[in-house]
Amino acid sequence: MSQPRISAYASSADGNAQPTRVIQGPKTLQARTSHYIAVDSVRDELAVPNPFAQAILVFRGGAIGNEAPLRVIQGPKTLLSSVDNVAVDPVHRELMTASFPNDSVLVFQADANGDVAPIRILHGPKTQLDRPIRVEVDPINNLIAVMNDRALLVFNRTDSGDVAPKWVLSGPKTGIGTRNGTRDLKLFPEGRKIIAGGSIRPPRGTRPSEPAGEDEQGFFRAGQRFIGVWKYGDTGDVAPWAQLNYSPVTKIPGSRMALNPEGADLIIGGDGKVAVYHLPEVFQKTID
Amino acid sequence: MVVPARSWRVTVGILLVAVVCIQVRAQQRSNASERRPQVLDRAPARMIADPNPVFRAVVLDAEHGEVFMANDKESAGTSVLVYPTQFPATNRIMEPKRRIAGPKTDLGMVCGLALSIEHGELYSVSGETGTLNVYPLDSTGNVGPARRLRGVMPRASAGVFLDVKNDELFITTEHVNRISIYPRTFQEDQEPLRFIQGPASGLGDPHGIYVDSTTNEIFVSNHGNWRETQPGEGEVRGPDSLTRTSLGYNVPGRVVPLNPSTGKFLGPSITVHSRSASGNTAPLRIIHGPHTQLSLPDGIYRDPMSGELIVANTGDDSVLFFAKDAAGDVAPVRVLKGPATKIKGPVGAIIDAKRNELWVASWDSHVAAVFPRMANGNIAPLRVIRTASENAPLASMGRIGAVAYDPKRKEILAPN
Repeated sequence: MSQPRISAYASSADGNAQPTRVIQGPKTLQARTSHYIAVDSVRDELAVPNPFAQAILVFRGGAIGNEAPLRVIQGPKTLLSSVDNVAVDPVHRELMTASFPNDSVLVFQADANGDVAPIRILHGPKTQLDRPIRVEVDPINNLIAVMNDRALLVFNRTDSGDVAPKWVLSGPKTGIGTRNGTRDLKLFPEGRKIIAGGSIRPPRGTRPSEPAGEDEQGFFRAGQRFIGVWKYGDTGDVAPWAQLNYSPVTKIPGSRMALNPEGADLIIGGDGKVAVYHLPEVFQKTID
Repeated sequence: MVVPARSWRVTVGILLVAVVCIQVRAQQRSNASERRPQVLDRAPARMIADPNPVFRAVVLDAEHGEVFMANDKESAGTSVLVYPTQFPATNRIMEPKRRIAGPKTDLGMVCGLALSIEHGELYSVSGETGTLNVYPLDSTGNVGPARRLRGVMPRASAGVFLDVKNDELFITTEHVNRISIYPRTFQEDQEPLRFIQGPASGLGDPHGIYVDSTTNEIFVSNHGNWRETQPGEGEVRGPDSLTRTSLGYNVPGRVVPLNPSTGKFLGPSITVHSRSASGNTAPLRIIHGPHTQLSLPDGIYRDPMSGELIVANTGDDSVLFFAKDAAGDVAPVRVLKGPATKIKGPVGAIIDAKRNELWVASWDSHVAAVFPRMANGNIAPLRVIRTASENAPLASMGRIGAVAYDPKRKEILAPN
């Protein structure tokens, strides 16, 4: 890529579309390795991590061009390490990040600015946090979910300190965990669902020979890409309630996701592409 | 003591409800564990993607009249594209003479290129995997690398430069603010000969690199995102690795204590280091400050005749030229910039000394433009190579690290 940027596209965009706006330039303070955007639709703000400067940048929702962030969380008190993800709770006005280097989840007030300490820290052996890469919050059902190296952990939203998770999704039937290629997770509070990407290991002897990366069939490292949907309360080695599998038809480009519940769309990014899947089944507000 | 019948009935009722609840939960668990997922497979309703390759790093083989450019655009299939240095001027899309691409090449996100005419080798660095691959210079198609450095180099490495005189490869790594130096003849698990890393080094999110073996100087462009790093950080040492940050998601590494954060925005800079420096060593000088006009500087090169430093200045669509001994907050001696130049998101710049020409690779506009060596201001290039038509949208999505949805504006947001 050239420079750090956020490109915005119309939800109806298709093909080689022109962005509706681009947030880029030195004043934005973005880094080239940007692994997350959180949208606060209540305050109309965007939160973006900068891992190299150990900062969380908060922009105006309609930011465009070389526009400086409204607020920057950065400094010794923040305890931010290589922060590469951020989630926003617009109801309780909190902002949180899963800290991969130190097995913790740091929670800040949403309007935090400058060198401020977290208001809560989830950290310790009971939490089972192990190289967490993503945290998502459900402000309606008061939950947070964290993606780990081998598991997806669900805690009560206000848990703090060394607390055990209430649900743990882990095991070969789940196919999730960063070890399995999971790079993102989403919660759909109204339908009480957890959505995460992962990979399914093909039978031994049929695995592609490439040592790393992805082959033309969409196999990468551990197996074949899929996006799985679980119900709240699922715990243990549980297969998804529903799944979208990689195939020459589905062409899942990666495992970075966004939800558009109003349009019943699951948006998936990766491989330099953004794909939009219309999945009304997933966005039903009640499930069996 | 006589227990009233009503109390018994209440107790029995509670017990019955509890038993039913336990059975229902057990049934739910059983159902979940034996669950057959509902299959949602269907084609995407829409797919946003730019199918056109882009130009990132650029290197020249002046002897054989070939220019090699890295295309790191995944939606176009990452590749190394090889074009002739001389061709009739055209504004049409130009097909490369040959391309190195395909699953066997293991190019990954090819960020940096170097070449050796003497040894007939092309070197590519993948930022994604932390690999350095070597291909025969005349490679074409889906060919595997002849040699590969893997498993020791930190991830997110980007810039690479071959110091021909001293037969050493220099590599920058963004994540851990580091310059690693390897022998050109490295083996797969080669340890670096030395490295420059640590808080004194002045390195902050380093990108491009150039080594002048005459003056024994290393020039590095820095975006300025900084945190304190420890010498040795980013090296893959299994559970003893210093931090996990740049090791890849599945490597355990040491857990970092919840210590005070050290991150800062230092602003963009060019740091100049001694070629033989090692460890946590301060730079010889730094070009830094508002007069420099530096803005997200990337590719860097030194004019072999004038000694001027040439910087692809991504953040303001320009190429900056600094005096050979520039230091501190100094203005560039020349600036190549403006709509006539077709420079948009420049990431690479190099001199063809044989033909007295300057090449500039622009990522955003899908254009490599050739100028007279001393070009200045808003001038049109002598000729261009383009991989997309002039009216095609600018390249805007690189490696997509995330997507988000803005319900207010009904927009999909994608950062690099």
